[in-house]
Formats: sequence, structure tokens, C-alpha cells
Amino acid sequence: MPLKGSGKKKIARIRRGTLFLSLILLLLATVFAAIVLGAASIPLKSALAVLLSPFTGLNGLFKGVEVTEVQRGIILQLRLPRVIQAAIVGASLSLAGAVYQGLFRNPMADPYVLGVSSGAALGAVAAMLTGGTLLFAGFTAVPLFAFIGGTSTIALVYYMSRVGKFVPVMTLLLSGIAVSAFLSAIVSLLTYFAGENLHQVVFWMMGGVSGANWSRVVAMLPYALIGFCCIYYYARELNVLLLGEETARHLGVNTERVKIIILAAASLLVAAAVSTSGIIGFVGLVVPHLIRIAVGPDHRVLLPASALLGAILLIAADTLARNIIAPAELPVGIITSMVGAPMFIYLLKKRKKLRYFNTGG
Amino acid sequence: MSLNLKVHGLSIEYDSAAILDGINFELQGGEMVALLGPNGAGKSTLLRCISKALEPTKGTVFFNGREAGSLTAGELARQLAVVPQDTGVDFDFTVEEVIRMGRFPYYKGSRKNKINHEAIVHTAMEITGILPLRHRSAATLSGGERQRMVFARALCQEPELLLLDEPTANLDIGYQWELLDIVQRLNREKGVTVIAAIHDLNLATLFFRQFILLADGKVLAFGSADEVLTEENILASYGVQASIFRHPLHGRLQVSVGKDSMSPLQKKGRGREKRVHVIGGGQEALPVLEALWEKGYSLSLGPVSREDSGYNFAHFSDIPVIENPPFSSISDETYQEHLKLMHESKWIVLPPISFGEGNLRNLEAMADAIAQGIPGIVFGDKVEERDFTGGKAVGILERFKEQGVLFVNNTEEVLDCLKNNE
Repeated sequence: MPLKGSGKKKIARIRRGTLFLSLILLLLATVFAAIVLGAASIPLKSALAVLLSPFTGLNGLFKGVEVTEVQRGIILQLRLPRVIQAAIVGASLSLAGAVYQGLFRNPMADPYVLGVSSGAALGAVAAMLTGGTLLFAGFTAVPLFAFIGGTSTIALVYYMSRVGKFVPVMTLLLSGIAVSAFLSAIVSLLTYFAGENLHQVVFWMMGGVSGANWSRVVAMLPYALIGFCCIYYYARELNVLLLGEETARHLGVNTERVKIIILAAASLLVAAAVSTSGIIGFVGLVVPHLIRIAVGPDHRVLLPASALLGAILLIAADTLARNIIAPAELPVGIITSMVGAPMFIYLLKKRKKLRYFNTGG
Repeated sequence: MSLNLKVHGLSIEYDSAAILDGINFELQGGEMVALLGPNGAGKSTLLRCISKALEPTKGTVFFNGREAGSLTAGELARQLAVVPQDTGVDFDFTVEEVIRMGRFPYYKGSRKNKINHEAIVHTAMEITGILPLRHRSAATLSGGERQRMVFARALCQEPELLLLDEPTANLDIGYQWELLDIVQRLNREKGVTVIAAIHDLNLATLFFRQFILLADGKVLAFGSADEVLTEENILASYGVQASIFRHPLHGRLQVSVGKDSMSPLQKKGRGREKRVHVIGGGQEALPVLEALWEKGYSLSLGPVSREDSGYNFAHFSDIPVIENPPFSSISDETYQEHLKLMHESKWIVLPPISFGEGNLRNLEAMADAIAQGIPGIVFGDKVEERDFTGGKAVGILERFKEQGVLFVNNTEEVLDCLKNNE
């Protein structure tokens, strides 16, 4: 619905403001829902009393509310870290998806092309099969190995695709797909010989945030923040890169440097997410497209909005995973794929072309 | 704002095949150069080497004496803007957002400098006429609109050197002219150095004063239109015979190709049995000459002077023509030659030329030929207005009518007459 005149710009601004406001409200609502709902039911008032207890000024509001130690423990030691981890993982995957799609100008790019997640998976599985309980500089071996696997894969793919001085996007994508397939095969091979660790490996690979605790959240948070800040700093460069690498160079973007930094930052996000929560599909693919449909391709809006929506969706999916067959749990990766894939197909059908990727001839 | 560009020994190879082979030239600031050459001569490659989009195998490019390699991407983007050939857009930015990206190289530290980016963007959109489309999605633009959008973006960069690769390829003639006019104004008013790869040689001579002609990755010629656009150079680079002449209206050199490849083909089957002689030349004779030639008749023409457009037509199409010295009456010798040519023809056509004392003898010659049985066709429209002989010409034409000569009003009727009497 093209509007004419100078009012159009104002409308775009209002639209962006509305988007952010509703995303933040939605995030708060999802967080409360996720804390209240579960195998052990907790009244909303108790949850609020616990969560708002640091604000002493508000204590008067919850005078009559009784909170048992068990409830307090469930909220603060189980559900809250789990919600936060889900939020960080969801935000990281969505952010990485937005970056890969923009950088490679490919609507199908997500954290799993380029082999980043396969590399991380290989590292994680290798760690699990060789003991998996080692502690190393504050990490258990699994996340550390996953991180090493993910970042060294992207480095390998990047240098494999080098043609002279430049790294063409097409070559990068194709090398990523090839390396990814190769590493996945090795992961399958390792799984085949997993023996008594099979259950752990398979469950991890299905993806989920069930083992969340505060130390994991604290270990992940710096990576997520560093990754987000690096990427957001280059939001304008990402916009220019959408015009094509050659044009971006002509417009003064140091494309090779920007690409390395952004790829490294995005891979950091993916490795952190995969190492703690396994393979969670479709969040990174669908979320950036939803945001683009709402407000267009400008990365200065797209990046924070994708992070917010990714967090919301993964918290919601995890809450669903905990409650569908309570007290048992489903791996959240199953939920995201089962909801995400049809949603994506629906979008494809409805929009014919995804906004910003005018792939039709 | 003008930039001195020096290209020194530039070579680039793909799979050991040289695309550019030792390119050397130097442009003083403020020049406007058309880069000519056939497909595959290396025009785009040369432009991409200059803009650092490609890394040359050998050689160096200097901007104001500084090696291009030592400039950062930002420094380069503030000096040099590129309008590339392929401007495909596959994202959903608005036109204005795309154009605003031309300001990207200036954003750093611009708060201190207080540059009014929006005003520059607005002016660029205004100049290129894209302003009404600024809120449209860039992906929905037509080829020509996209070209103007990309051009506006280049203007936002406030370049000292503007590289254009086939800037007019997607544009209709109106916008071709408009775009090159803007480029010319930038060059004249702001001293922007311009290099434009361009296919339309005749458009190039209208706007450019300097030319580089590439062939097989080498500079074949470099200089003014007269130095570069010669029949030898066009044959050597484009591989076609061409006629070079000055445009009758603006006097710039014009290149008309196809002399060699077109006329022998069309001469086939043009025997004397279908020969039509056309009397006189000028703008009045050209339409009927062209129509007859197109229909496959063989032609002869005359008498005309060397400056006459009919003479050029005869020369280009290689048909018999009688030449008469300029500003002189028909001599006896010419008269006889003319008569001979008419006798060799099946028909004689008299186009709607004007009659004066100088060419009255042509009518007498025609009368002679008609008397000997050669059929004539006369454009009989407004004869009185064309007669500057005090009625003599009208008199002769009156007699023609009595002799059964066919009178017509336009070229189609001539063709009909010839067809019906074949």
C-alpha cells in the first residue's frame, strides 16, 4: 500500500516505534507466562512477588502473598535461568540468521549453512564421547569444544572460498554447504559409535534449554553481548552490502574486513547457542523474514527487532515443550521445527516473494 | 574537484588470456572521455580496474599522483563514483534509502562537519528526476528508473571522478540525452572527470570531446573525435565498414555502419531491367530514392552537386550518379550523360524538386527521353509553387500530361505505378 508524500517517512517511524514497543511488551508477557506455567504451578502473584523482591519499594504490594521456599527455588534457580537462556539462544540464532541472510543476500541462509552449527555439533559430540564432564576455564568441555568446532569451521570455509584477494559470496555459500555435509556425516558416524553416551548425544542434538542454570547463562551472556554489539556496529555497512559487494566497495565499505568481523561475530553467537542448547532449527530462518515483512530490510531496525522476536519465540516454544506432556518434556527443537517450517511455507505462499528478496524473475 | 587519473601499464589476465594488455593513458582533471570499443574489448574490465573492483595482474592506477592501492575504501569512495552496467536490485529498500547510501563514505565524523546529507540527497534526486519515485520500492523500478536511481546515488558521493559503464543502455532517447546532459554539466560546472563506456558512437560524439578506443585489450586510439573515429579505426576495432560524415544539423562526426555488409547483399538482383532513374537530388528526392531502394529497384540519379544529400546517398549505395559542379547550370556534356543514363532506365521519376533556370535543362532531357518512349512518373503536387522559371517548367509538365506521363502525389503512388506496370 504505497502512500504518497512526506507523511510516508513519519508513518515508517511510527511503525518502527510500534513494533519495538509491542515486541518489548510481548517479551515481558512471555517471560511471566514461562515462569508461571509448568509442572509445578505457581500463582502469578507469587511469581511477581519473587521477581520484584529486589525492588524494595514495591514490597508493600505483595504483603499478603505467601511464597514457599520451594516456589522461590523453582522460580529463581530453575525457571528464570531457563527463560533467560532461551531468550539469549533465540536472540543469538535470529540475529545470526539475519546477518547471514543479509551478508549472503540469500533468503535461505541461516546459522546452519556455512557449516557453523555442524562444526559446533561435531565439537560438542566429540566432547561428550570423550568424557564430557571436564571443566576447562569455567566451561564444561562440551561448550568449549562446540565453540572451537564452530569457529574453526567458519575459518576453514572462509579460506577455502578465497579467490585471489576476495571471497565471493557464492563460493562461500557452496563451500559452507559442502563442509557442513561432510561434518554432519562425521557427527552421524560418531553417533553410530556413541555406545552408552548415545542418549545424551541424541537428546542434545534434538536441541533444548532444559539443562539451564545460572552458570551457563553467565558463561553465554558475554559472547551474546559481544556478538550483538559487533554486528550492530556494522548495521549500516550491512545495508550497503545488500546492494552487492562490488557496489558496497564503491561506496566505501571495506567489504573484506567487515565480512570477517561480522562472520566471526555471528559464528560466536551460533557457537554459544549450539554448545549450550544443541540444534534448534528454523528460529534463525523465520524470525528475520517476519521482521522484514513488518518493517523492511534496514538492519538498524532489523537486528534488534529480530533479537527480540527470536527471544520471544524461543521462550514460548520452550514453555510449550515443558507443558505439552508435563511433567515430561519435549526437546524444544522439535517444537520450533514443527511450528517454524509450516509458518515459513505459509509465508512463502502468501507473499509470493519475501520482502527484500525479490527472487522472482 | 577535478582529478588527475593516470593508468600505467595496466594488464589483467583470466586463465592466462589477456583481457587488458598494457593500457596506458593519462587524463588531466576535468576531462570528459568516452570509452569506445566492441563487446569484449575490455571496457568494463578497464573501468573495474580503475575503481579497484578488480585487481590488475600488472600495472598501476594513480589518482592525483597517489597509487590507488594506498587509498582506503572510504577515501576512494569520496573521490570516485561508479554507475555500473548491471544495476539489478533484489531487496526492498525504497529508492530514497538506496540513494542515501551514496552518502555512506561521508558519515564518519559528519556530526562535527555538519554536512547536510538530506539536502544533498534531495538535490541528487531532483537532478535525476527520480524525486517522484523516492518512496517506491527499489525492486519495483523499471530498468531505466533503476539506472537513474543508481546515477543519483553516484551523485550523492560528490565524486571527482565519475565512471559510467553503459549509462544509457537501459534508457529511452529522452533520458539518454538527459543523463548525458547532467554528466556534461557536472563536468563543466564542477570539473568532475568523467569516463563513460558507451556503445552509441553518435551519442558519444554529441557529448564527449575525448575518446579512447579499445580493441583486444589495447588502446587503439586516444584523442579527439577526428583522431579516433576514422574508417580504419572502426574497421580495425569493430570489424565493420563504416562511413564517417558530419551531421548536417550539428556538425559533429557521425558513424554510419553497414556500408560494406548491407549494399552488396541488397545489390543482388538489381539488374538494369528494374532500373529507375530519379532526376535531381536534395531532401525532396531522398524519400523516393530510399523507398525505391528498399523495394529492390536498381537506381540511377542525377544530376546533383557534390554537397547534395542525393549525392551522398548515391555514393553510399554505390549507384550511378551524374555529378554537376556546384552553383552551375547544366552543361551540354552533363546533358548528354543524363540522357544516356535515362536511356538505360526502365522508368524516369521526377521528385517534387523546385525548378529554376539552372535545372530546367533536366526537364528538357526528360522530355527528350519520354519522346523516345521511356515512361515517366511526375510528382504533380503544387507545381506552381515550385516553379521559379516564370511558368516554363509548368509548361513542360503540362505537355508531359498530354503525352500520357503519370502524375502522382506521393511516394506510395510511385511504387503502385511501378508495380502495376511491371
